[in-house]
Amino acid sequence: MTDVHFQRMKDLPSTHLLGAGTAMCAGCGGLEMIKEVYDVLGENTVFVNAAGCMTLLSVYPFTPFRGSWLYTAMASSPAGAQGVRDALDILKANGRMTEEEDLEVVVLSGDGSASGMGLSATSGAIDRGLDFIYLCYDNEGYGNTGQQTSPESPHGARTATDAVGPGNIGYKKDLFSIWVANKPAYAATVVGAEPLDLARKIEKAHELEGPRLILSLAPCPTGWGYDPAHTVEIGRLAVKTGVWPLKEYVDGKVVHTRHPGKRTPVEAYLETQDRFRHLFEPVRNDKVIAEIQARVDAYWAEVDVDDGTKA
Amino acid sequence: MYRIRFHGRGGQGMKTASRVLGSAFFHEGFEVQDAPRYGAERRGAPMNAYVRADRAPIYERGIILRPDLVIVADDTLVPIPAAGVLQGLDNRSVLLIDSATPEDEWRKRTNIGGPILVLPLPDTVDRSSLAMIGIACAGAAARLIGVISEDALEQAVRDELAPLGEAVVEKNIQAAMAGYAAMSDHAGTVSEGVPAAASGAGSPDWVDVPVEEVRLSGPAIHAGATSVEVRTGLWRTFRPVIHYDRCNHCNWVCSSFCPDNAISVAEDGRPVIDYDHCKGCMICVVQCPPHAIESVLEVEAAAAERRGSA
Ligand SMILES: Cc1ncc(C[n+]2csc(CCOP(=O)(O)OP(=O)(O)O)c2C)c(N)n1
Ligand code: SF4
Ligand code: SF4
Ligand code: SF4
Ligand SMILES: [Mg+2]
Repeated sequence: MTDVHFQRMKDLPSTHLLGAGTAMCAGCGGLEMIKEVYDVLGENTVFVNAAGCMTLLSVYPFTPFRGSWLYTAMASSPAGAQGVRDALDILKANGRMTEEEDLEVVVLSGDGSASGMGLSATSGAIDRGLDFIYLCYDNEGYGNTGQQTSPESPHGARTATDAVGPGNIGYKKDLFSIWVANKPAYAATVVGAEPLDLARKIEKAHELEGPRLILSLAPCPTGWGYDPAHTVEIGRLAVKTGVWPLKEYVDGKVVHTRHPGKRTPVEAYLETQDRFRHLFEPVRNDKVIAEIQARVDAYWAEVDVDDGTKA
Repeated sequence: MYRIRFHGRGGQGMKTASRVLGSAFFHEGFEVQDAPRYGAERRGAPMNAYVRADRAPIYERGIILRPDLVIVADDTLVPIPAAGVLQGLDNRSVLLIDSATPEDEWRKRTNIGGPILVLPLPDTVDRSSLAMIGIACAGAAARLIGVISEDALEQAVRDELAPLGEAVVEKNIQAAMAGYAAMSDHAGTVSEGVPAAASGAGSPDWVDVPVEEVRLSGPAIHAGATSVEVRTGLWRTFRPVIHYDRCNHCNWVCSSFCPDNAISVAEDGRPVIDYDHCKGCMICVVQCPPHAIESVLEVEAAAAERRGSA
């Protein structure tokens, strides 16, 4: 592996590639992450976008991308990526495209696609060892259709389909572990609020070949209910409280790239969002808050504080 | 039939306002349609919501072209042609604006013939909460129409907002009633428009599309970053302003975190905000380490700009 270019915040790209003028909400955490990823991957990319909020990035005749983008149905973006990868390989084999002109094929998908109806197509792509990056922005719900509960909605969160009572009674699905169990070329979690950690991981992923997962928490002011100004703070709090572990799977091991030594209590994160307001008002729900904390504690109890590996 | 259009921005509670007014009509025995209308854009973008109400079944569909009442919750939308606030107003349509600018000034600016009213909200309405303004507008609309009782209005707020809890419902009822009371001198100003007959509708504005090869006519975009043609700066209600005397050129902070790439870095390392595209999320204001970015009301910033260039 070559040297890491991103040592300090100062090393982050100062020219930004993604065009302004997209239809995403003001303060969209998913867009913030994609813009940071695009600066590292560069314009020699093809994005294969599963239906979701980010489909609205490119609305004819407007696109923020400098390279290619295409749209697929929710469940089939890895299949679309296979077609694009095959086409590029054929062009190279026929001498119509040089190795330098080759493009990185990137699936861009929401959590509803990634952990729900698109999981089967992903599984097939991993079986075939497809050379692609799977970039998932996890806004913890079906955002584009009004934030219904998805397989990634956290326990206790209120959504459009769990608008009253205890909120979502299910638990967040562990997409990272599903990928890791199948020994991909690379897998990592990121968040736009930690751009340096993100840039290092994207650089690493870009240098590898085979199925690679980049899973990003994507704070969503519209779906989670908070002032758009707080997107970065909320992303950071997710890391500091241990709710969103930053980690990577490389060379057969899961290593945490950030291990919050002394974790902030989860309620500092929960309190910032309307979707958890019912846990604090009108009466505090100590039982559910304690359960959420206990699950986070149990996760970190298995992480080695010295080398960041997980048992 | 009553035809009412609410104009605001995504996130300002226009959809809820239209539902509350629709439910209130329903409680008074009307047949009702209410629907929000927005494009692909999200929070902050101009949008409208409409209500149709009639004692007879409603066969009309689609957007309201000839409104009897137009309510504007965000007066910065009036001069934006794309927002379509003044579309279809005639000499009997009522225009209600929530604004600090007086009525005669709006008459000059809009050059329309019908009644113009500015909504005077008492201090009891929490103006920092945009949703409260929306609900107060629904209350004001109910009084202007004149056929909706306070009881029906209150019941409508309860119906629509019950899942948010009793405290929120009570606050919203107060705001709705404040809007209702503010329009007491104008009760019944809005009159019903005549039902539109299909025979009276003009033919649509056809556009002839030539038959082309799929390769040409398919929705493929052959250029990069064309999205910059879309001026998302119009979404902004607050403007971030950099005070360069306090800025320490740590441009990797503000320019990395801006989701919309509206902060570029000049050759000398200074961050520069692109106001054609900045959506006003204020992430940069919160993240700037020396607090060198100030949040200024867009209307005030724009007025200051005009004075400066004059
Ligand atoms: C098969 C299918 N079912 C339903 C839809 C409607 N739909 C469009 S986007 C979307 C939500 C997708 O959620 P997610 O993948 O998390 O992306 P997000 O909208 O949150 O960006 C849904 C349900 C669809 N496009 N296709
Ligand atoms: S709903 Fe959420 S994820 Fe979707 S565009 Fe808006 S902020 Fe982004
Ligand atoms: S973050 Fe603030 S201080 Fe740093 S470059 Fe941006 S405006 Fe200047
Ligand atoms: S307010 Fe700041 S961070 Fe938000 S879009 Fe404008 S320039 Fe970017
Ligand atoms: Mg989602």
